[in-house]
Amino acid sequence: MMENTVKTTSSVVFVSFVSFVCFVSFVSFASFVSSSEPLFVESAAATGLTFTHVNGATGNYYLPEMMGSGVALLDYDNDGDLDVFLVQSGTLDAKSDASSGRGAGGCRLFRNDLTVTPDGRRTLHFTDVTERAGIAVRGYGMGVAAGDYNNDGFVDLFVTSFGATTLLRNNGNGTFTDVTAEAGVADTQWSSSAAFFDYDRDGFLDLFVARYVDFTIAGNKLCNDPVGVRDYCGPRSYRPVPARLFHNDRNGHFVDVSEAAGINKAYGAGLGVAVGDYNGDGWPDVYVANDATPNQLWMNRHDGTFADNGLLSGSAVSPTGNPEGSMGIASGDFDLDGDEDLFVTNIIGETFALYVNDGRGNFEDARAKSGLAAATAAFTGFGTDWIDYDNDGWPDLFVANGAVNIIESERGQPLPYRMRNQLFHNTGRGRFEETSAIAGPAFAQAEISRGAAFGDIDNDGDVDIVVTTNGGPVRLLLNQTGSRNHWLQVRLEQPTANRFAIGAWIGVERSSGPTLWRRVRTDGSYLSASDVRAHFGLGSSPAINAITVQWPDGTRERFSGITGDRLVTLRRGSGKP
Amino acid sequence: MVCAVLVMAQTTVPPVPQLTLDSYPSSTRKALEPFYRAAVARPNDASAVGSLARALHAWDQWSAAHDTYVRAQSLAPETFEWQYLDALVLERLARHADAASALERALQLKPDYLPARIAFAEALFDAGDRDRSARAFEALRGAPAAEPATEFGLGRLAAAQGRHDEAVTHFQRAVALFPEWGAAYYALALSYRAVGRQDDAQRALERHAQYGARWPGVDDPVLRGVTALRDDADTNLRRGLKLAEAGDLEGAIAAHEAALAVDPSIAQAHANLISLYGRVHNWARAEEHYRAVVALGFNLGDAHYDYGVLLTLQEKWSEAAAAYRLAIAVNPRHANAWNNLGQVLERLRDVQGAADAYVHAVEAEPTFRLARFNEGRMLIALGKPDEAIGELQKLTEPRDAESPRYLFALATAYVRAGHRAEGVKWASDAKALALQFGQNDLAAAIERELATLK
Repeated sequence: MMENTVKTTSSVVFVSFVSFVCFVSFVSFASFVSSSEPLFVESAAATGLTFTHVNGATGNYYLPEMMGSGVALLDYDNDGDLDVFLVQSGTLDAKSDASSGRGAGGCRLFRNDLTVTPDGRRTLHFTDVTERAGIAVRGYGMGVAAGDYNNDGFVDLFVTSFGATTLLRNNGNGTFTDVTAEAGVADTQWSSSAAFFDYDRDGFLDLFVARYVDFTIAGNKLCNDPVGVRDYCGPRSYRPVPARLFHNDRNGHFVDVSEAAGINKAYGAGLGVAVGDYNGDGWPDVYVANDATPNQLWMNRHDGTFADNGLLSGSAVSPTGNPEGSMGIASGDFDLDGDEDLFVTNIIGETFALYVNDGRGNFEDARAKSGLAAATAAFTGFGTDWIDYDNDGWPDLFVANGAVNIIESERGQPLPYRMRNQLFHNTGRGRFEETSAIAGPAFAQAEISRGAAFGDIDNDGDVDIVVTTNGGPVRLLLNQTGSRNHWLQVRLEQPTANRFAIGAWIGVERSSGPTLWRRVRTDGSYLSASDVRAHFGLGSSPAINAITVQWPDGTRERFSGITGDRLVTLRRGSGKP
Repeated sequence: MVCAVLVMAQTTVPPVPQLTLDSYPSSTRKALEPFYRAAVARPNDASAVGSLARALHAWDQWSAAHDTYVRAQSLAPETFEWQYLDALVLERLARHADAASALERALQLKPDYLPARIAFAEALFDAGDRDRSARAFEALRGAPAAEPATEFGLGRLAAAQGRHDEAVTHFQRAVALFPEWGAAYYALALSYRAVGRQDDAQRALERHAQYGARWPGVDDPVLRGVTALRDDADTNLRRGLKLAEAGDLEGAIAAHEAALAVDPSIAQAHANLISLYGRVHNWARAEEHYRAVVALGFNLGDAHYDYGVLLTLQEKWSEAAAAYRLAIAVNPRHANAWNNLGQVLERLRDVQGAADAYVHAVEAEPTFRLARFNEGRMLIALGKPDEAIGELQKLTEPRDAESPRYLFALATAYVRAGHRAEGVKWASDAKALALQFGQNDLAAAIERELATLK
């Protein structure tokens, strides 16, 4: 009997051991099985954020159908939480290029009805208030920029399209008015990303509009993939169109200064726009991600003109000098050395670029040594940004991916362009590790993602993400990591001019690590606009020595007596010079 | 036992890929099917599997080619070809570390294969293994065919380590060996910038823009065997474009016609042939291809424009204008069509119409210097010299072979506007520049004008 017992015991132990070893083996190559709480939870439908992008694809392979659309996060009603504006495309009219956007319902505005109970329980819910807000943008929409151009304290919206642009003035009472014509920003060329910024530092936001190529429906070209199957043509089949720069004349009106500013002396097929002070001279510069043409770095010459230093800066092309299919931009200080670096998404096979700034506007291409090249070679990336998703103080990366040409392995399927999105953790040593596998099921889902906007939508101290998909539903990725580390959000206020201080440079000084610098912005990513509040992860300590604000006109103020884990509003003049 | 199976699964050789041949066009299906059927029928036959891999490689099916090469390697590990070609595919997939490993294995089988040695050194660099990359490039010294790549590679290594003076030396040698190397000029520009030689950097960037993606070739019979597998319409079209660029018009025509023989629906081939036949003055054939592309209904902008050029060459001005207008109707931003429309309207003595057309050309493409020059000329002809000065002033930089006539036009505008001294200055500049570029007739004409002014 004892022998049997011993044998049985031995057998049980042996089987258990085998199972354990096998389990380890299985996990090691089933890398998308997450065994702990996901970092992000997809919650669009659950919160009422119901929107499906319509690209109008009918088998004609019109290039605009492949581009997707953008999203803006803004607090349009100034109630303290982020609302969502989603750009709709629609049906392309084969008879004209006036792009009707028929049958798709147009762009939508969702009001955030976040409630927080006294015990801290959050209920996030969105309500579609498009009609109530008087928004009726019907063109084949592309992107959106957000900014308070008339300094009334309410954020306005500029919508780009394949066709007519639209400027929506926020009336401050929950409604918007289309003021495109009277503002002088009407344009009928194919516009993509745009950015509100104050290039002449006069306190009024100007507008930079990237434009793509001279595609027309009548001039549609026939392109095939390598095996001869019809597919979308790329930008090289058409000619690029110059960008536009509009100067705000302070009277609710803009003047086209593109030629005077020198913006049309060089141009490519523009898709992404980011604004930053890349040479640290206190004046905002503009970086443009161009598709299949060199990217541009428009350096502000302080006199109303710009000079393109893209190629010489080392931020325009691949390491071997070839233009890449650049779409999205993340602009920010990822290595905490006090200057703004650039991460640019490209198409499959090119890898995504990491251009590291030396502080003077010269960049080193560090995609290989950062680990990002190998991890991104199989992807085509669009919306992106630096977000410190775990609040450890080091800016991480999110990328919205989706192909523009048939993926070999998906050939024969209805939508052979699907890819999964990616999340990268900044190790703090100049390298990134992909953490998509533990980010949650949403990161295992392969879709055709395009725009992405970033901000703390549920005001719980961590950065959330809204992602648009081409021809598909919007995705809301709610960050679940917020309370694991300390954080700070900063909202700036200037009394009369550039009310939200777009372009300001905020430095959070702490004893626990290097100063954290963030620029106040809504631009970057792809076709999208993000939260104007600056978010800082503080790591394990909420202690802050002081906050330095370099206001858009170059003057500096210091603010002290601030601790972490809150949103603070810093008003100009209430600090110390 | 279960565990053993699972462990094996982690290193399993990929099966022969499943191809959805039915979704391929018939010409591609016909080309790939024999290879595919053979590999499916004999999945453990290295030659059959390797042949399929090569075919997939030829048709740019990178992932499937890689998987199939891996299978071929497992079946015949001593075959250099499968390792080497897989490495090239891995490079196309930007998997540099894997490519370097594959090349290392390949070189164990054929240590002297020069293209593999160069690719190995480059893959190591791209994978971040700088020490081994440096050794691999140093080992290439003494191989004349590898010299450009060696200098370029050593330059990149030096630049990556901040030794930009040394990098400049290497890159200068690289472009001396292959003067049309855009990438080398780009790298040289960045190193010049790093050592403070801004003007040299700018000049190097201009060369980079001029030469683009041109790269020095090294004879690679193994790869050539792969590219030779494909003789489809697309391959012929690409060959035709290369021949046209090289000035071999008859060869370009033959290649384009070969493409259409395989697939008559390639609108781009028809559109290109309008221009190619036009250049050899075969109007009838050019017209045939124009009708064909219009019937297809694609690439219409290019087609109408090229037909307009064809008619312009035949001096059929009104018909040419109509063709250009059709191109503009398809694409209102067709700068070349606007410019050419302006040229034929000048022939038809419609100066205002020509001026308007040039304005549209410049609006569509602000960097179109020729169109802006034409606009300036028309403004002078219309008696608007001040406006002409405004436009022509924008053409004073850069100074290249086109500039002498631009500066001469500017001089004329100044004189017509009553600013004689300024006009003389610009005319003198124009003459000096014309002589510099060997444009002696223009210089003589300018000199005659100057004589009348003085």
